[in-house]
Amino acid sequence: MTKDEVFKKIVDILGKYSKTEIKMENISMETSILDDLKINSARLVDIVLDFEDVFDIEVDDDDADSVATVGDGVNLIMAKI
Amino acid sequence: MDLKLKEKFALKIQYLLGWITFPFWGTFLIALLRFVGRYKVQQLCEIRKQYKQLKRSVEGPIIVCSNHLTKIDSVILNWSFASIFSYMRSYKIFSWNLPERANFYQNFILRILCYLGSCVPIDRGGSRSVVKKSLDKVIYLLKKGHTITVFPEGGRSRTGRIDLDRFTYGVGRLVNRVKDCNVLCVYLRGHNQEKYSNIPPRGARFYLNMELIKPQSRHSGLRATRDVASQIINKLVLMEQAYFATARQ
Repeated sequence: MTKDEVFKKIVDILGKYSKTEIKMENISMETSILDDLKINSARLVDIVLDFEDVFDIEVDDDDADSVATVGDGVNLIMAKI
Repeated sequence: MDLKLKEKFALKIQYLLGWITFPFWGTFLIALLRFVGRYKVQQLCEIRKQYKQLKRSVEGPIIVCSNHLTKIDSVILNWSFASIFSYMRSYKIFSWNLPERANFYQNFILRILCYLGSCVPIDRGGSRSVVKKSLDKVIYLLKKGHTITVFPEGGRSRTGRIDLDRFTYGVGRLVNRVKDCNVLCVYLRGHNQEKYSNIPPRGARFYLNMELIKPQSRHSGLRATRDVASQIINKLVLMEQAYFATARQ
């Protein structure tokens, strides 16, 4: 799976949780999940669990803590698949 | 967990200073609650007896998980759980708290009171490393047998009821990291508390109900964290329903 494909799938997942209207073209690797997308830390755990299901990977607590931006999520997944 | 020796020592000093000075600030706070706020806790003696029995009957540390409607909920909880004399005899039963730094650490007097009152400030939304450091301190305290009060809703409920949209999973991580961890679910509410506020309305009579649970999960990692946190919040929801079905009548 390429980085672009991972990125697109992550944006789809984020769409389920964000309380702001996400415009696909505005999301970049630097977009902060907590601040820019207004997603709280509990939902961030749900998102990381969705990463596990969608990409068939396992993420531990410390790895989950490292996810702050969309790019962090992409890099984490790329390192595990 | 990577708490440095000096951080462990600092917590020990904080605990001892809190204990030594407790007769002064503890009496002051309770006087404020009773005579300025005119607050009362319903069935205070029974609650203290029940808390004492619970503490004696369980092995392992206790995390107190309560609903959250005012900024002084943790003060009222500690007031409800034991008398000043009980705390002076055994200060370890005094629960540590995790206030948000932005709310309580701007004012010098509040900062001193928080320090003496066994608080470990949390920077909500802060960098992961800073939040992790606070969690490490809490885990260290729990492993040492201290009691911790946590508000799983992650802040005062904006709806006036248990807020399922905002509740956080941090408590699940604490339970999973500490062996034999017990959770004391507490529902606390003043009779005239309709929504959230800074302090309870004057003259409030507090209802307090507590139930001890030992949440467990067949999952591991993040799923276990979520599972355990969900069990706790669901228990609080049931306790709230019981309050509105009976006590509020």
